[in-house]
Amino acid sequence: MSTQNSETSNLRGLWLVASREIRVRGLSRANLVSLAVTVLIVGVLAALPTLLSGEDTTRIGLAGEEAAAIERQLAPNEDYEVTVYGSVGEAERAVEDGEVEAAVAEGALYTENRVDTELRTVLDSAWRAASVQSGLEAAGLEPSEIEQALATEPLETVSLSEGGVSGPLDYFTGLIISIVMFFMLMMPVQYIAMGVVEEKSSRIVEILLTSLKPWQLLGGKVIGLGVVALVNLVAIIAVGLGVSAATGLLPDLPEGTAAAALSTMGWWILAFALYGTLAGGVGSLVSRQEEAGSVLAPITTALTIAYVGSIFLLNAPDSVLGRVLSLVPPFSAIAMPTRMSITAVPAWEVALSIGLLALSAVGALLLGALLYKRSVLHTGSRLKLREVLRRAA
Amino acid sequence: MLEIKDLRKRFGETVALDGVSLSARPGEVIGFVGANGAGKTTAMRIAMGVLAADAGEVVYNGSPLGASQRRRFGYMPEERGLYPKMKTGEQVAYFGELHGMSRAEAKRATAELLAQLDLTDRAGDHVQELSLGNQQRVQLAVSLVHRPELLILDEPFSGLDPIAVDVMGTALKERAAGGVPVIFSSHQLELIERLCDSVAIISAGRIIAAGSVEELKARETRRLRLRVATAEDLSGRLPGTVTRDGEDYLVEGGDDQEVLRIAADAGPVSHFAYDQPTIAEIFREAVAQ
Repeated sequence: MSTQNSETSNLRGLWLVASREIRVRGLSRANLVSLAVTVLIVGVLAALPTLLSGEDTTRIGLAGEEAAAIERQLAPNEDYEVTVYGSVGEAERAVEDGEVEAAVAEGALYTENRVDTELRTVLDSAWRAASVQSGLEAAGLEPSEIEQALATEPLETVSLSEGGVSGPLDYFTGLIISIVMFFMLMMPVQYIAMGVVEEKSSRIVEILLTSLKPWQLLGGKVIGLGVVALVNLVAIIAVGLGVSAATGLLPDLPEGTAAAALSTMGWWILAFALYGTLAGGVGSLVSRQEEAGSVLAPITTALTIAYVGSIFLLNAPDSVLGRVLSLVPPFSAIAMPTRMSITAVPAWEVALSIGLLALSAVGALLLGALLYKRSVLHTGSRLKLREVLRRAA
Repeated sequence: MLEIKDLRKRFGETVALDGVSLSARPGEVIGFVGANGAGKTTAMRIAMGVLAADAGEVVYNGSPLGASQRRRFGYMPEERGLYPKMKTGEQVAYFGELHGMSRAEAKRATAELLAQLDLTDRAGDHVQELSLGNQQRVQLAVSLVHRPELLILDEPFSGLDPIAVDVMGTALKERAAGGVPVIFSSHQLELIERLCDSVAIISAGRIIAAGSVEELKARETRRLRLRVATAEDLSGRLPGTVTRDGEDYLVEGGDDQEVLRIAADAGPVSHFAYDQPTIAEIFREAVAQ
């Protein structure tokens, strides 16, 4: 046994601690049950859009002179089922009877309720196009000439940011990213602190430290609980995407979703190193579980600010506050991946944000390990951060 | 051979260790005795590397003790600690692995040890479901699982019922017979007397007496105890310094044959022998000085 070189035994110690966390926490009944429940909920949510919208089409009534022209405009769009009525009165009745959701006739939009913005835009532009066409016909142009003149390609998106950082997705993706990041950091961070306090309050740490170094104990715990959190996340994503694929919803997901998921995972690893080691460090300041919440408060507050800031940022991704939040750690951990999903962020900002976050993660590792090393054997009253930092090693 | 040399440690204004030296030879069982706060736990923690000394060193087989050698030691801290929500068998094996055993080795050693400690049936139970006495046995198993080269146990007998005391005592004697030095602290002095080859007495951070049990006993002033059935008070007539202990006379420094002659003349002698000082008496005396 003594022939083992210290490098391998260092890594082995780290791995033993990590694998114990994975076994005990990952395979605990509590974790398995909560994972099963979450997976079930995500599965149902993913299937819900398909289950609820029995019919995807919106029925529209048309009447009057322009009816045929509008119908031609709407024809390529499969989401709209068009009925042409003989008179404006018939179309009105159809709306009143609920046969169609809205009707367009003689330059007016008939509806029972308010028409949603999307439908309104579609009908407006169809009406406008039809009017232009009939106007041009009246001016003596041939229908084929008109068609040629009006045939335009939709706008092409050209990203001006260098390196083509993952393209802007949409509000919803950003929201999902910020929520997932928030919970995926909040939960394991609490588990790390609780685990540290458990070892301290049960005094087992004194035996552990005769065969392990403090950094192995802290690092192994962070890695182990990180793996558990990651496995849970991957399981949830896999179920979500699997159900979406099975119900045929997948093609509707914005382009770049997979890339965003991957890069979010990268951000999460950096963020977890930062928050996780800090949580372990401050956890070692107290000896009782009841006190864990209060020493964790600065960390959970920072996480909450990062989350709330990201929600704000979704509406103003390029505001000064949004840019600051997405650059400055620890907030950038959630803010930047969120911002990247909704707007094209210049590559230098992304690089700067990653650099700063990685630097602060290294700083947190050192600080967390130092706090841990200096206070983990101190039992009894809660230690003040200042005392621990001032104390000689 | 473990040598603790001139350890010094202060906690703020308090001097916990003021030059503690101690050595343990292979197979030697050493009892570490001292009042609460005398420095036993601090000395043991420093020896196990859990605490750093301000000065002094711990030498093992001729070279300064390092982390890789400490991993082959077995330690039971004063404050017991186990993972409450981990299964007994898994937990003992985990510590075997932490101490450098392979997984298979650790499992085998765990099975043997649990059988020896009557815990085989409880291997699958969470530690928190065990009685306190059984938890203590698991604690011992944790310190023994990796077949340690040396044992340092802080109050291993505290809180044990008499049967568990025997199990623990037997386990320690067995290891010592296999050549393992065993250092343990205890307040149960009769246990120390029964189990130990040597004793070290610590008071206020200093070792005030150390040596084999026989040496320490021999060092004590010999006291002759005399019981004789007579109405007469012999105090004035016996040689040396005479004190009374109930009906008995305690004689220090006089010629024993003369004491016997005077006593036999006065009446029938029912007891005439030198007192064997107990470790408890030696301890009280040493601390009082």
